[in-house]
Amino acid sequence: MSRRHMIDLDQISAEEIEEILVTTDSMKEVLSREIKQVPALRGRTVVNMFFEESTRTRISFELAARALSANIVNFTARGSSVEKGESLIDTVRTLQALGADMVVIRHSQSGAPYLVAQHFHGPVINAGDGRHAHPSQALLDLFTIRERLGQLAGLKVVIVGDILHSRVARSDIWGLTRMGAHVTLCAPPTLLGPSHYWLATWPGISISHRLDAALEGADVVMALRIQKERMQGGLLPSLREYSRHYGLTPERLARLGEHTLIMHPGPMNEGVEISPEAATAPNSVIEAQVTNGVAVRMALLYRLGG
Amino acid sequence: MNYLIRNGSIIDPARRVATVGDVLVVDGKVERLIDMAEMGVDLGPLPEGTEVIHAGGCVVAPGFTDLHAELGEPGYEQRETIATGTRAAVQGGFTMVCAMPNTNPVLDCAAVAHQVAAIAQREAQGHVALIGAITQGREGKILTEMIELAEAGCIAFSDAGRTILDAGVMRNALAYAAALNLPVMSHCEDSRLGLNWAMHEGAVSMRLGLPGLPAAAEEIIIARDIALAEDTRAHLHICQVSTAAGVALIRAAKERGVHVTAQVSPYHLTLSDTWVLGTLAPPPLPLSAATPTHRGKGKNRRNTAPELGLPSWLNPNLLPPYDSSTRVRPPLRSEQDVEALIAGLNDGTIDAIASGHAPRTRVEKECEYGVAAPGISSLETALGLVLTLVHRGEMDLVNTVARLTEGPAQVMGRSPATLRPGSRADIVIFDPDRMWTVERSQLASLSKSTPLQGQQLKGQVMLTMVSGQVAFRRGEFGMHGRGGPQSSKITGIFGNVE
Amino acid sequence: MNNRKQILTPDEMRRALVRIAHEIDERNGGLQNVILVGIPRRGVPLAERIAATIADFEGVLLPVGQLDITLYRDDLRRRGMAEVGKTSIQHDLTAKVVVLVDDVLYTGRTVRAALDAIADLGRPDCIQLAVLIDRGHRELPIRADFVGKNVPTSRSEHVMVHLREIDGEDEVVIERTKAEQ
Repeated sequence: MSRRHMIDLDQISAEEIEEILVTTDSMKEVLSREIKQVPALRGRTVVNMFFEESTRTRISFELAARALSANIVNFTARGSSVEKGESLIDTVRTLQALGADMVVIRHSQSGAPYLVAQHFHGPVINAGDGRHAHPSQALLDLFTIRERLGQLAGLKVVIVGDILHSRVARSDIWGLTRMGAHVTLCAPPTLLGPSHYWLATWPGISISHRLDAALEGADVVMALRIQKERMQGGLLPSLREYSRHYGLTPERLARLGEHTLIMHPGPMNEGVEISPEAATAPNSVIEAQVTNGVAVRMALLYRLGG
Repeated sequence: MNYLIRNGSIIDPARRVATVGDVLVVDGKVERLIDMAEMGVDLGPLPEGTEVIHAGGCVVAPGFTDLHAELGEPGYEQRETIATGTRAAVQGGFTMVCAMPNTNPVLDCAAVAHQVAAIAQREAQGHVALIGAITQGREGKILTEMIELAEAGCIAFSDAGRTILDAGVMRNALAYAAALNLPVMSHCEDSRLGLNWAMHEGAVSMRLGLPGLPAAAEEIIIARDIALAEDTRAHLHICQVSTAAGVALIRAAKERGVHVTAQVSPYHLTLSDTWVLGTLAPPPLPLSAATPTHRGKGKNRRNTAPELGLPSWLNPNLLPPYDSSTRVRPPLRSEQDVEALIAGLNDGTIDAIASGHAPRTRVEKECEYGVAAPGISSLETALGLVLTLVHRGEMDLVNTVARLTEGPAQVMGRSPATLRPGSRADIVIFDPDRMWTVERSQLASLSKSTPLQGQQLKGQVMLTMVSGQVAFRRGEFGMHGRGGPQSSKITGIFGNVE
Repeated sequence: MNNRKQILTPDEMRRALVRIAHEIDERNGGLQNVILVGIPRRGVPLAERIAATIADFEGVLLPVGQLDITLYRDDLRRRGMAEVGKTSIQHDLTAKVVVLVDDVLYTGRTVRAALDAIADLGRPDCIQLAVLIDRGHRELPIRADFVGKNVPTSRSEHVMVHLREIDGEDEVVIERTKAEQ
């Protein structure tokens, strides 16, 4: 209850995650009403600071803030502050002087929210920073899995794709293992990072380079977006090979149990990491993830700013 | 002005002297050393105008030589100037600083060397030696006019923070410099292994999601350059060795008789990549799993030294997470690498401790970690940091002083700084037991960027003498007697002194 | 310690609730379209007991819902974030008679929040208020339609309703705060 910021799930106890998920449930009820708005944050000003393009996450936070009756302002800038010749600290101080009560930040540099938190008087919510963390995404993943499967403890969750560059994977690792799930990270070694043998020593985590083996007995499979730049960086020989060996193809979909949830944090590269058949399969919860995202963000805004 | 430094614990590594006694400085030179055996002997009348400096309980040593500092001038005066940099140096006990050539314009021709020498002549508080660039513009392509640079006073060559990625160019540089008997200082980083790196690649970088630079990026270049030095019979000097494997490569090369020397910075000797975490918990794994090919015992250096009763001594938790003051080139490495560096210093593989002073402005530092300029303002905390190793019993005091005096002099091919009578009186007096707290705003350097803000260090420079004149004095140090000689608490060598 | 006084025994509490049930029945003849909505926590079991009592003598089981008003409170900023409870009302409230049920009526701010919340959920024909205890000190123009017991109090006193379902026993006690002792 006394938490000031939400920057990463690394230092959050299972109890607190549980509380957030319970609050999310209440927020979901609010979103199911005809009038999807409660006055809890009336008069508060939330600033969406987006230094990296992400229409989805920005809109999700915007809807969440509005459902709580907060004023929300979008501040969008591309590139790092240094490239623009404007310092992040200066931007934050300016927004504070303009009356911002809470900041939601998306930034291409890992750790940027910590810098903001040092110079802002109110709560800071991380909406994704570099490769580091994306706690609201991880929480909505936890909520969605639990909503469908009833629990998190003891589940086997396979995350397949670009682990090295993925803040979603990092936050999911913390959240899922904290709640007692087992996480299998599956990717070609280049996308696990040259140092992936460290990851294998983290409790509750195993590493695999073969998707078909990793999917044995999986309760959840989450595909991560593959960015085409990775090929130019030499990390992948071709998207074709990736898709055949690491993609959720119709053939793999057919072999999956019907109870295995299919997830994707979006935006999807259909035909690369996930086939259209898998994305729209009955056991796909990709749309539910998006819906639940608003409720989770309401819970975070409320708990930090209420 | 003449001085009589009384009752100090004299350490003169060049002469293997460690004794309690007095040092008489006359006309800018060491006139006489009076050791214990002679104490009480009538010295006869002291020369006219001799000030007595009471140094009881303090170490009196030759002034330190720094092989590696950026002084900013010309071109980066907002980072540092020769005046402020050398003032920081004398406050840190360094009477001689080798200035890195990453100036603007680059110190890659005699004209710039003359300019820097002229500024130094006019404004420096200590001695400044020049290092010329290896390649023009530090671009790694065309060699500088090394003969002319040497004639202009350059004592070594370095591309300051940049690695010459073309092995052919590096081979030619070594061969060319060999004829001048001057060392080529190599910064060892194959950046192709860590594009846009922000820190050491390991468990911590994985946890923080920061692009990492693997240890192999350093090892590859060290191995390559040793092969080239062996081939050209040149003097290769490895700047800022930071990895365990790098130390091993240098050790093996020395055993083969390759003319290779090496330096390490105080921060690489004492801080590890866990400092980037700040208040965050370390990753949930044994930190000893750092570099897989060099597994060591691995002492966790976070929060060490409480056994000495020193509160929060070298405590990374004083920093917020991702504090850009911890960003440096090469990056702070793993705990195992730190262990190996200390071992390398102890067995002579590493010749010198160099400050690695890399001043950066607030604008360059107060931004996101990944875009912050690497560099630590290090001259004034260097001694305090390396003395933590002495206080922990990981190094002995005489060897530490040797690596700050004799070691760097040997790398430069100069006769070592010494307190031998007749030699230039470059002297440092430091209190090895004095506790102090690092406060950024009090640094003499223009750059206040240090990860040690708020840390307690044990050991501080009290007085620095350059060419027989007091260049720095802390408060009224030495003006009042402190009683008889005191034994230093940190080492046995003076323990039985009455 | 004389600072704790019982003001309703279990039996008195039962009788008060039976009376409220009868009054609700009388006021809304036929009980058509009536829905009981409890305000967590203790308003919910009270609403259920009233529904059960009415079922006993009328043979009609009224729907019971629960309405969490945390997100509508006007003191969130002053008192800090409170855990959000669950709202669960299975019926559309439009054109219904909503009887709000709570344990203690004091400043009226909780009821004010509940009225706002109900307005967001639908447009009832009528909203009535039933409370077990009315202790006075209203800060808003709000009055209960059905009251179990009026208890004159001072602001420094605490009125505590204990219910079997939550506290293991039925009673209402009044306590002086330490400052008054």
